[in-house]
Amino acid sequence: MGIKIVSRYGNTLKEKLYLPAVISGLKVTFSHFITNLKDTSKIETICYPEQLPKDITSRYRGVHRLKKREDNSIKCVACYMCATACPSECIFIEAVEREDNIDEKMPKKFSIDLLECIFCGACAEACPCDAIAMDTGIFSFVKTKREDFVLDIDILLSHEPMKGGN
Amino acid sequence: MATITVDDREIKVNDGALLIEELLAHGVKIPHFCYHPTLGKDGNCRMCMVEIEGKKRPQIACDTPVSDGMIIRTKSNGIQKVKRQILEMQLVNHPVDCPVCDQAGECSLQNYYMDVGLYESRLNTPKTHARKHVDIGSNVVLDQERCVLCTRCVRFTKEITKTKELGVLNRTDKSVISIFPGRPLFNPYAMNVVDLCPVGALTSKDFRFHKRVWFLKSYEATCNGCSKGCSLHVDHHKDKYKSDSIFRYRPRFNDNVNGYFICDTGRLSYKKENDNRDSFAQIKGKQSKYKDVKDRLCSLLKKYHGEILLLLSPSLSLEEMLKIKKLASVYDAKISGYDTCEYDSNFGDDYLKCNDLSSNRRGFNLLQIDEKIESLNKFSKNIKLAVLFGRDDIETIENYENIETKISINASMPKKPKLYDLYLPMMTHTSKEGSFINIDGFLQFSNSHVEYTLETQALLEIISDFLNDDISTCEEIWKVKLKKIVNNIELETVKKKSIKMSNL
Repeated sequence: MGIKIVSRYGNTLKEKLYLPAVISGLKVTFSHFITNLKDTSKIETICYPEQLPKDITSRYRGVHRLKKREDNSIKCVACYMCATACPSECIFIEAVEREDNIDEKMPKKFSIDLLECIFCGACAEACPCDAIAMDTGIFSFVKTKREDFVLDIDILLSHEPMKGGN
Repeated sequence: MATITVDDREIKVNDGALLIEELLAHGVKIPHFCYHPTLGKDGNCRMCMVEIEGKKRPQIACDTPVSDGMIIRTKSNGIQKVKRQILEMQLVNHPVDCPVCDQAGECSLQNYYMDVGLYESRLNTPKTHARKHVDIGSNVVLDQERCVLCTRCVRFTKEITKTKELGVLNRTDKSVISIFPGRPLFNPYAMNVVDLCPVGALTSKDFRFHKRVWFLKSYEATCNGCSKGCSLHVDHHKDKYKSDSIFRYRPRFNDNVNGYFICDTGRLSYKKENDNRDSFAQIKGKQSKYKDVKDRLCSLLKKYHGEILLLLSPSLSLEEMLKIKKLASVYDAKISGYDTCEYDSNFGDDYLKCNDLSSNRRGFNLLQIDEKIESLNKFSKNIKLAVLFGRDDIETIENYENIETKISINASMPKKPKLYDLYLPMMTHTSKEGSFINIDGFLQFSNSHVEYTLETQALLEIISDFLNDDISTCEEIWKVKLKKIVNNIELETVKKKSIKMSNL
């Protein structure tokens, strides 16, 4: 097996010095610090759960969703890369021959056990078809039974990407 | 013998042998598609290029005979560049649909790309398309786009099965592998083309999409489909929250027995093994506790001491046969190996399939177990208890009216369960170890341990409990007795390779 070398960023003199990055980071910290000192009513904490956070970005790793193609059919081809990459082995897939001529293979069953999931995002990263994402913005998932935490293919497909995410 | 230098290492090789054979035998990595030890060289894929000193251009290793003093380089920058360019050419029209391809994980194209490729695609014209997922018969699915046209499959049907169902149609980039109209792949060894195919062009309909290959673990076993006893890889996997299960058999190279191939019947016989692992103990056809049936069987053996007939299947391992002989001597029982059902005169052919469907009939000769019907008739006059080991042919003993109690210890559930007083399941072939002698007299060791979820025991353990001794593994039985019977062959030797038995 060989190693494919991917070019990395961060090789310029400015980046190698670190200090400019440290200073610009500290600038943000201190600007918040000074603002908060001046006017305590502006401190950005909320009364959860009565108030819900409004600053969840689309990069936030929420509950998973399975994406669809343009024709509204499932995008996943059941290649098992997500299940292979998953460190907690919480993705359960069963593949079946796809009959609609869009592709060869699709999942018959695809379920994620959220109680075992550690929300690391390895599944979304491993997916070669960009078919699974964690951009739903769902950060809280409450049920009364353990079984309800195992999300099946229909629930995963029904999840929508977060609205107004940036 | 000749001496050649490969990447500054001197190796001794057979004079006149093909260079690729010797390089592969000495562990030198040579990428190749079209060369196969059984099918020989074809020289069409050009993937096995090596640099030979004194030759102007790179040469293909599969069509170059070795000669003394050759100096070969397989890793220089020049040759790596050549290989990369050839691979790029092979992949020009490849659909790169690895996510849906069953070969992914054991694909030569993937491996060689990681070894010598690692380039970015330079293609900016549309790829040539061809037919995908075509069912060409005999459980084989063809994908013409993924094919590298190595013609291994074509040569297999031409040279090995001589049925010639496959051919290459058209020229240039329209060139594809195909069957002839209305003539599907139809021969008893057809599924071997799936193993032969170095890429995902030919995949098995039976295995397709059931499991990604990187999950599979493999045991080295022998086939119990017929008396040829072909060497197998038992590919199994235990899914999380599920029981251990076999997903496919693959042929395991054994020069003495089956070469690189197995028949389709044997290949698909793993399904029976999967079913067998669900067998449960029964009393008169009613499901019962394993321990209860075993205890009852043990007390019956004691009750009928001296009036017991033990009927052995010719598919039991040597160790099991020996253990049953021991049981017979303790309970003063008669032993017979008479059997009619493990024979099918329509099954055999002149290649790997044999009419005798038992996997160890030669073991009867070795251990002197009687299989004549006359002796069975003679024994059975004053018999009251009959125990069938590894067989389900109750019709054999139905005529003997003096037999009061009939018991079966078998891996698969009985076809007529109510006729047996007791049925005790034992571990199936791929869940136990044991030695077998095939029809040509080769002693082989099958070593597969697919796990049971039920409490079922192996036959050796069951009998060991009846005898109250601690000898329940093959190693112990070899040490105690079997080694002497088989001319002092060590078990470790049999585990490594099959050995021809001369005194049968």
